[in-house]
Amino acid sequence: MSKQINVALIGNPNTGKTSVFNALTGLNQKVGNYPGITVEKKEGICKLPRGVKAHIIDLPGTYSLNASSLDENVVIELLLNKNDKDFPDIAVVVSDVENLKRNLLLFTQIKDLEIPTLLVINMSDRMNYKGISLNIDYLEEHLQTKIALISTRKNEGIGRLKDLIANFKDLPITPCLNASEIDQDYFDNLRKAFPNQLLYKLWLVITQDVNFGKTDRKEIDAVANFKTKSKGDLKRLQQKETIKRYQFINNVLKKGQTIDVSQAKDLRTKLDRILTHKVWGYAIFFVILLTLFQAIYDWSSVPMDFIDNVFASLSEWAKDMLPNGAFTNLLAEGIIPGLGGIVIFIPQIAFLFLFIAILEESGYMSRVVFLMDRVMRRFGLSGKSVVPLISGTACAIPAVMATRNIESWKERLITILVTPFTTCSARLPVYLIIISLVIPEGRFLGLGYQALTLMLLYLIGFGVAVISAYILNKILKIKSKTFFVVEMPNYKLPLFKNVALTVIEKTKSFIFGAGKIILAISIILWFLASYGPGEQFHNAENIVKAEYITQNLTEEDLQQKIASHKLEYSFIGITGRAIEPVIRPLGYDWKIGIAIISSFAAREVFVGTLATIYSVGSDDEETIKNRMAGEVNLVLGGPLFTFASGISLLLFYAFAMQCMSTLAIVKRETNSWKWPLLQLVIMTVFAYIVALLAFQFLK
Amino acid sequence: MNAIIQNILVFSALSLAIVFLVKKFFWKKKSSKKVCGSDDNCACH
Repeated sequence: MSKQINVALIGNPNTGKTSVFNALTGLNQKVGNYPGITVEKKEGICKLPRGVKAHIIDLPGTYSLNASSLDENVVIELLLNKNDKDFPDIAVVVSDVENLKRNLLLFTQIKDLEIPTLLVINMSDRMNYKGISLNIDYLEEHLQTKIALISTRKNEGIGRLKDLIANFKDLPITPCLNASEIDQDYFDNLRKAFPNQLLYKLWLVITQDVNFGKTDRKEIDAVANFKTKSKGDLKRLQQKETIKRYQFINNVLKKGQTIDVSQAKDLRTKLDRILTHKVWGYAIFFVILLTLFQAIYDWSSVPMDFIDNVFASLSEWAKDMLPNGAFTNLLAEGIIPGLGGIVIFIPQIAFLFLFIAILEESGYMSRVVFLMDRVMRRFGLSGKSVVPLISGTACAIPAVMATRNIESWKERLITILVTPFTTCSARLPVYLIIISLVIPEGRFLGLGYQALTLMLLYLIGFGVAVISAYILNKILKIKSKTFFVVEMPNYKLPLFKNVALTVIEKTKSFIFGAGKIILAISIILWFLASYGPGEQFHNAENIVKAEYITQNLTEEDLQQKIASHKLEYSFIGITGRAIEPVIRPLGYDWKIGIAIISSFAAREVFVGTLATIYSVGSDDEETIKNRMAGEVNLVLGGPLFTFASGISLLLFYAFAMQCMSTLAIVKRETNSWKWPLLQLVIMTVFAYIVALLAFQFLK
Repeated sequence: MNAIIQNILVFSALSLAIVFLVKKFFWKKKSSKKVCGSDDNCACH
């Protein structure tokens, strides 16, 4: 039987830890959450030499074991809890060759916990560019560990890394720093009070604010002869510890690392000068955005049309091949069109995440955050708010959670409240289908009108978020201060594997996360549209025949009239017509009203809902887009989706808080129903007013 | 016969869909432990 060991991958942010994780695990990885909290947990399996299997956990990036955020707590909780099933047999600390000094702080702290610790020095391919040379033997001797010098970019050194992990028992567990050096008297007392405990672990328990600490701290308090220090004194001792560690690291690196700046062939400074320039920086960012949205449209139109046609044919095939009956109708008119309404957007979602992954991997995204900080400050936000606002383009839920690293409660609350305005990927299907229906396909200076509209919607979302932040900053009377520090990683050519894994993972979670909800809602909607109460529904055939007896309708027209009558008096028709007076001023009919209500579960349900409602009773092989384009406005005449109603709908979705999950996460993050309810009411009322004005002016 | 089976399938699918959505949006999961540090206020002041 092969043996399995637990390996914890730990490191500062931007050291290429995830690339090491990908290189070790390949596709044998899964992403989940840590129990009880929403910090992402990545784990995978790696086969090591001699039949050993490694269970690898990619822990959140942290600069030290002195946690200041929930993400960092996860690392410390694991390293201090030997009873945790994931407690590592070996800690692999990933460092970046260009920031070795800073990265070694974390390494020395972990090593002092007497866990076998291996040092990985990543990005070795950049040593030449930076004029860096390392004396590995010297470093191994003085850091008392083994070192794997690797380059995930060039796939170098991974074999040696696997060997070293497999031989983890050979790693010395001698600490780098004698904890007593921090404060001799204090640590002597601590040792006397807890003779059987590891001194550095006790020190971390005393100075951390982590969950497991509750029990351990009780234990410490229960010992009468040990007096712990005040918070201020403990902070001073922590600073002393950090200074001691850097003294040790400096001594080791003095001989272990040589940096000859004259040998550096560095492009970074030149690029930074342009990309973060106060004029060119914004201009380049704008051009990149334009290219991104144009590409989303140009590259994905062919696969989208293909998928749309496949689902239309599949629906038709199900009707022809399966025995007639209610379940066949459910499949052909409910489930297949509903699913088609989400699968069709795979190409565009994939292209969006492809671009975002490339921008992140290349190091450009950090420059954008830096650039935007200048703008954000004017609106009462810090640069740290940019990260949630940008990650909100994928989904507001992780974005709201990403606000946890904002120290100031006021800035954090404002960021949480305005983040749902940024255009999340769930809005994309709604935007794409409506834009394709109401915006012409022409081009202006080589850029398509449709792509420009899409970009405009993204900018409007971001703009409204920032303006709302400004207003909230003036209204909310909470005093607090914060500062903004962002690390500028080096520019790198994006690794294909990392980009591909991001695109696959994000697209998969989009499809499966929303897919299940859409499938369930499609089934319920089909049922509500196919069944109804009362005489008008059950006797629809006779009523319609009697009504049109004088007109010479063809059999096909008559069947269409019957289907339309049944839909109108079905459960969904009755509900839809009840809410129609509220939404009619916006240019919508009751079917769109139903789609808006059902998309409160998830915005992307909107297209699937319309696809299902429009399919019920229809025998033709039609694509979603054609069905929507063919809908007629029964009040005004002409097509239902006009420029005016389309723009109104786009603006409604841009501003409305149409997402139950976001409300739930805002409730959790603010510990109160007050903020999510306020957010729901204000955003919905604002969306309604803007959509109303847009339709009334444009019709 | 065919109609009865088809109706049974429809109502089964409908029940499953309703149960799934109720579980997804209204079922309250029991959290195993507190999540926001020792003060347990999720940094909300």
